[in-house]
Amino acid sequence: MDSADNQLVAFSDADARLQAVVNVSLEGVLIVDGDGRVRFVNPVAAALLHRRAEDLIGRIFGLPFMVGEVAEIGLLRPSGNLLITEMRTAAITWHGEPAQLIVLRDVTKQRRAEEALRDAEGFSRTILNSLAQRIAVLDDQGVVVMVNDAWHQFAVAHGDEQLRKTGVGVNYFDVCLTATGVGSQYAPGVLQGMRDVLNGELPFFDHEYSADSPDEERWFHMRAVPLHGQRRGLVISHTDITDQRRHGWAVAEANALREQLQARERELLAVSTISGTGRSVARTQRAESVLRVDSPAIFLDCVEQYSALLDAAIEARSFDTAPNIQVSARALAVRLGEQHAVARDVVEIHLAALRSRSIDASPSRQQAYLEDGRVLALQLMGYLVTYYRDGVVV
Amino acid sequence: MSTIVLQLFIAGRTPRTEHAIATLQVLIVERLAGYPCELVIVDVLTDPQQAEERQIFATPTLIKESPLPQRRIIGDLADADGLLTALGLPPARLPS
Repeated sequence: MDSADNQLVAFSDADARLQAVVNVSLEGVLIVDGDGRVRFVNPVAAALLHRRAEDLIGRIFGLPFMVGEVAEIGLLRPSGNLLITEMRTAAITWHGEPAQLIVLRDVTKQRRAEEALRDAEGFSRTILNSLAQRIAVLDDQGVVVMVNDAWHQFAVAHGDEQLRKTGVGVNYFDVCLTATGVGSQYAPGVLQGMRDVLNGELPFFDHEYSADSPDEERWFHMRAVPLHGQRRGLVISHTDITDQRRHGWAVAEANALREQLQARERELLAVSTISGTGRSVARTQRAESVLRVDSPAIFLDCVEQYSALLDAAIEARSFDTAPNIQVSARALAVRLGEQHAVARDVVEIHLAALRSRSIDASPSRQQAYLEDGRVLALQLMGYLVTYYRDGVVV
Repeated sequence: MSTIVLQLFIAGRTPRTEHAIATLQVLIVERLAGYPCELVIVDVLTDPQQAEERQIFATPTLIKESPLPQRRIIGDLADADGLLTALGLPPARLPS
């Protein structure tokens, strides 16, 4: 044999050895020539492509182009299904010609699982971010592992722009341990509550607290619930309950006012009975006989008059030291007396004025309407009693 | 000068395919400025017929249709300069 023949034999041996190795490989292997034409395909690669090896030989698969060591490509099956594979390549010599060895590993399931996980995480995050409550997820050591947008925004609004004090990575238990200032006296109890939930001794832990801002008093409800799933941890939420609290106070105020006005009304009826002079007196209180229903225009006018008085009272900050307000209040009492108004009418005017004035008012202004309004309503009722008793309000 | 025709076969719009498209656009606008170029993008998920006719086995596949010789490349299409070399572009200008 001459040297060319020896070389051919050597190539054939090398090719045969390579072919033997790749034929038993668990990964798909193709060998393509300089045009990207398939010269060899192992059974796994044929199975990945859902084609017979003989149908692939001679077809152009493509020349691999890599930026790193691994590229991700999709394998298109005749059915139209797509497999995701990781591709590695090596420059080799095949039958004496330069060629590319392409190794393909099916990662479809892995990628689908990762995609599903990303979708699930994205879904959970979207839900958490849609909530107005501030929410943080803690691990079993108390370290914050996730916060929602509301938590982030609250931190930024309160000077923790980089979330160094309350963001991901911070130990929330340590935050409670080192708390100072307003509300810090509750921190040990809160810490214990969170630990009890974490240890399964409590199903959840609730805590209500106030946090004063420079402008107003605000109230919050904190809840800690255990994190269900493989990882132990806690979900902490803080809900602003200031409006609910205010609403509760407003209801209590209205009830207190109603009771006081009813007492005045009883006084008024007693005066009417004793005097018996046929003077202008209040209507007998019946459900269908109210100023709002009987004379809606006058009722609305009185609400407007009362609202203006309310504004003036808040501006003056002292009803007793505002003679003009007293004069106007007496005039309103006379007008109501002429309409034979009763305590219920005064309450309705008062509440209607509070409603209209509280819209778009700041929380502190709403509080002022509640407090000053009660004084004004009582004063008005007093004037009305005087009117019914004496016929005039001096 | 004949038009440089490139065909890109992708499977859906993923960040990876968006990156490949952006690389090709840079390649055409910056590296092949002055050459008439045409880039055709085919999504094999919405146009399987084309994939079958062209016997596409993998995505992304980039085919240089013209000028000849035709070239077919698969893999990570994220390096404009490397792609130019692999595609044999720009074409050598004929001596005037």
